[in-house]
Amino acid sequence: MRNATAEKSHVTIAAKAIGAFRHVFQRLRLPLRDPFAVAGLCIYLLFALTAICANVIAPYPATEILFNPDFTLAADLRPGENGFLLGTTSLGRDIFSQIVYGTRSALLIGLTAAVIVALIGSIVGVVAGYFGGWVDTLLMRLADIAFGIPFLPFVIVLAAFLEPSIWNVVFAMALVLWRDTARVIRSQVLTLRTRGYVDAARVCGSSDLKILLRHIAPNIMPLAFLYGSIAIGWAILTEASISFLGFGDPESISWGYMLQDAFANQALGKQAYYWFLPPGICIILIVSAGFFITRGYEQILFPKLGR
Amino acid sequence: MPYLKVLTGKILQLVLVLWAVVTILFLLFRLMPGNPMAAYIEPAFTLEQQEQLMAQFGLDRPLWEQYFIYLGNLLQGELGQSFRYREAVSERILDLLPNTLVLTFTSLIIAYAFGVLAGAYLAWRHGKTVEAIGIPAVLVTRAMPEFWLGMVMLAVFSFWLGWFPAGGTRSPGMEFGSQFELYTSGEFFRHLALPALTLAIYSQGLPLLLMRSNMLEVMKEDFVTMAKIKGLSGWTVVIRHAARNALLPVMTSFAIAVGYQLQGNVVVESVFSWPGLGRELVSAVSAADYPLAQGAFLLIAVVVILMNLIADLLYAFLDPRIRHA
Amino acid sequence: MTEALLSVRDLRVSYKLSHGSLDAVDGASFEVPQGSIVGLVGESGCGKSTAARALTRVIADNAAITGGQIVFDGRDIARIPERNMNALRWREIAFVPQSAMNSLDPVYTVESQLNEVLRKRGGMGRSDARKRCEELFELVGIETSRLKDYPHHFSGGMRQRVAIAIALALKPKLVIADEPVTALDVIVQRQILDQLRDLQQQLGLSVILVTHDISVVAYICDRTVVMYAGRVSEEGPVKAVLRQPAHPYSMGLKNAFPDLQSSASGVLTPIEGAPPSLAEPPPGCRFAPRCPFAAELCRQTAPLSEEVSPGHAAACHRASEAGVLRSQAALPQTWMVPA
Repeated sequence: MRNATAEKSHVTIAAKAIGAFRHVFQRLRLPLRDPFAVAGLCIYLLFALTAICANVIAPYPATEILFNPDFTLAADLRPGENGFLLGTTSLGRDIFSQIVYGTRSALLIGLTAAVIVALIGSIVGVVAGYFGGWVDTLLMRLADIAFGIPFLPFVIVLAAFLEPSIWNVVFAMALVLWRDTARVIRSQVLTLRTRGYVDAARVCGSSDLKILLRHIAPNIMPLAFLYGSIAIGWAILTEASISFLGFGDPESISWGYMLQDAFANQALGKQAYYWFLPPGICIILIVSAGFFITRGYEQILFPKLGR
Repeated sequence: MPYLKVLTGKILQLVLVLWAVVTILFLLFRLMPGNPMAAYIEPAFTLEQQEQLMAQFGLDRPLWEQYFIYLGNLLQGELGQSFRYREAVSERILDLLPNTLVLTFTSLIIAYAFGVLAGAYLAWRHGKTVEAIGIPAVLVTRAMPEFWLGMVMLAVFSFWLGWFPAGGTRSPGMEFGSQFELYTSGEFFRHLALPALTLAIYSQGLPLLLMRSNMLEVMKEDFVTMAKIKGLSGWTVVIRHAARNALLPVMTSFAIAVGYQLQGNVVVESVFSWPGLGRELVSAVSAADYPLAQGAFLLIAVVVILMNLIADLLYAFLDPRIRHA
Repeated sequence: MTEALLSVRDLRVSYKLSHGSLDAVDGASFEVPQGSIVGLVGESGCGKSTAARALTRVIADNAAITGGQIVFDGRDIARIPERNMNALRWREIAFVPQSAMNSLDPVYTVESQLNEVLRKRGGMGRSDARKRCEELFELVGIETSRLKDYPHHFSGGMRQRVAIAIALALKPKLVIADEPVTALDVIVQRQILDQLRDLQQQLGLSVILVTHDISVVAYICDRTVVMYAGRVSEEGPVKAVLRQPAHPYSMGLKNAFPDLQSSASGVLTPIEGAPPSLAEPPPGCRFAPRCPFAAELCRQTAPLSEEVSPGHAAACHRASEAGVLRSQAALPQTWMVPA
């Protein structure tokens, strides 16, 4: 008797979970009709899988210095020599493995930054738009200040004081890059406020929090998601720039770090295309994927720009 | 006059933002871990120099006093002494500013000239294959790290084909009578070509997409249809009527683009060893030359904030509600 | 009898939709005699604007002329190459749009826009063009000092005169006016219509006036063409069609419009129902679902146009009984029974 009830409750919980998941999924309104958007989603998926299974896919650890069978340093080998798929760096590290492990820091930083930027931006935008008055003025002045801070130089200046770490970029983004999302979400909230049901809910006595959660939040989610996706690309590009300039974390091999390594070791002059092209191409793929997905969203959210 | 009101409001905003950024910079350098005096004084300075700087910046005073001294110094253009170059920071950064500006404006002009024409073209060819391929291609250019593009350009055009030099503003050993002479020499253009092109390729996406979307809206307007009914040529319809109307918002975006471009400058200057503010900022930070780092950052921020103001003013100016009030 | 300047035969204009297609104009035929003002009238969606625009061959991107002929000055221009058609545009066939505000480019002066057609399409030199600009403004009654003004400096009525001036710039043979006075208030409407009639007489133009307002047709047109659901239901001299309509639709319209000049008690009787969807039109006569006189034949076969008197024709199977039907149509009860 008890088992049957327990089983039943498990089933209902599972059903509710699936229902909730599907509800959120539908709210996100993934753009599945645009072929480029689909390609973008596939690229994300591919990189995500690579990041998760990096240990299995990469033949060597990213920082391990490797040697030839004859005990010489396996440095500057071209693709295919001695079994290195993409050749090796001047220090004897396997480029292919570095690429594979690079997906981890790219995705990690991309997703974290995107979530934080979207979250802060949305909260600021919603609070400013919903409550108005001095709160709105204060928050928008803060946004103005954020707009006045040149982002990349700011990250560089921070790098002067903070320990080199991939989280510096995330920190800087959290401080500065919420500004675009905040402004856009705020104007969305302002439009929503003019619609009857917010006032109607107020008249019914709903608390502000309830209105925010039930009416406002679901309507801004697609927009927040869109700006979050853009933020992923921004984060990855910024991290690459920072690493390239020498302020990145030398322990975690990112694609930006690889490019700095290549540049510093005269890869350009040595025509070592196998070294500096793959990391750049990976960055391009993952950032473009983000753009294509957001473009798919644009068709859904702003159809007047449509075909 | 409502425009005057808008102008005053915007200038106040500019002052506020400038003050905030300056304050943030102050706090950053004074409150960060380490010796607070390290912001201006290095052990390598002579005792005399150290004392002079301490007096000048009030480094032995309480923080809030230092703050006002700092603001006062800023208004006089006093930014301290560079640790490495032993010269006034303000002098050094003002020397470098023209190089950065030349690079920024040259690349933006190329980017906008191309972007506007290509955007109008894509709008004209709406629905055809060119557009379906063109737009993703433009998005890809926005997905490239600028420094990587610079690397590729160097690899192909400088190291492999040998058409352009690998960096700097002039070949070693070449002397020029003045800055102006340098800027107008063929040598300079040879050095400017690759970095400007690199930045232009990255930046053209914005004006292109903006122009295209404006054009698509304008092409739906009645006066464009009328132009067709009048039997006017394709050129007249698209350029004289549609493009002319679509161009206005794109032009206001130019000012903001300068602000964003300056960030790209930082990495491109580093790749091409271009002696500008961006590269100086990077090398100053790497060498812990704090006064110079502060100064470079500040000047970049000032340009960005100024450009934001200009963009806002332009936008308000072109808004017919304010203009024809 | 001289050949008509314009003869439209069986015109079909189709729109391509996301699912299938729609014939906005489905077999329309009418004539525009030389030197006359023809009113092309009908309710919204009847296809009159589409038909009028089709004459210029500048139609929506997803539209196309899929059938019929447009015989202008002896030539079928429905399918001639674009280059040849473009030679005709504005020089022989001109257009006055509905809303001049939207049809004039806001960033150029009106003189500049006049010059554009005079010099680029008329090949005039600078001084000739200047003279012509002044001539045209005098013609439509605007002070020539206003040539340097921008479109938004003019009032609605004045803007419409500017549009007319631009239309007449190259002395066209045919002027198509698409609801030229709909956007104006009644008094200004009258002024513009008077102006149009004067110009037409003065210059010997042929005019097609597209409108949904029968009183406009009554006021200045010589002939009228009534359209319904993509087809022409009746065509003839204005007096004949309005006083002795031969098509039930025209008869119904007569009852539905207030007549400012008559002193009758003025009971308005609308025609019940709505025009059919053009995506799936009914077989047979398209007015049959709403027609109080519809017979079984009407619902099955589409009627052809039949002449009821010289120059006056109606597309109705019962056109020969027009006299009888008219007396019945005059009674409000006839229209209150749903068909």
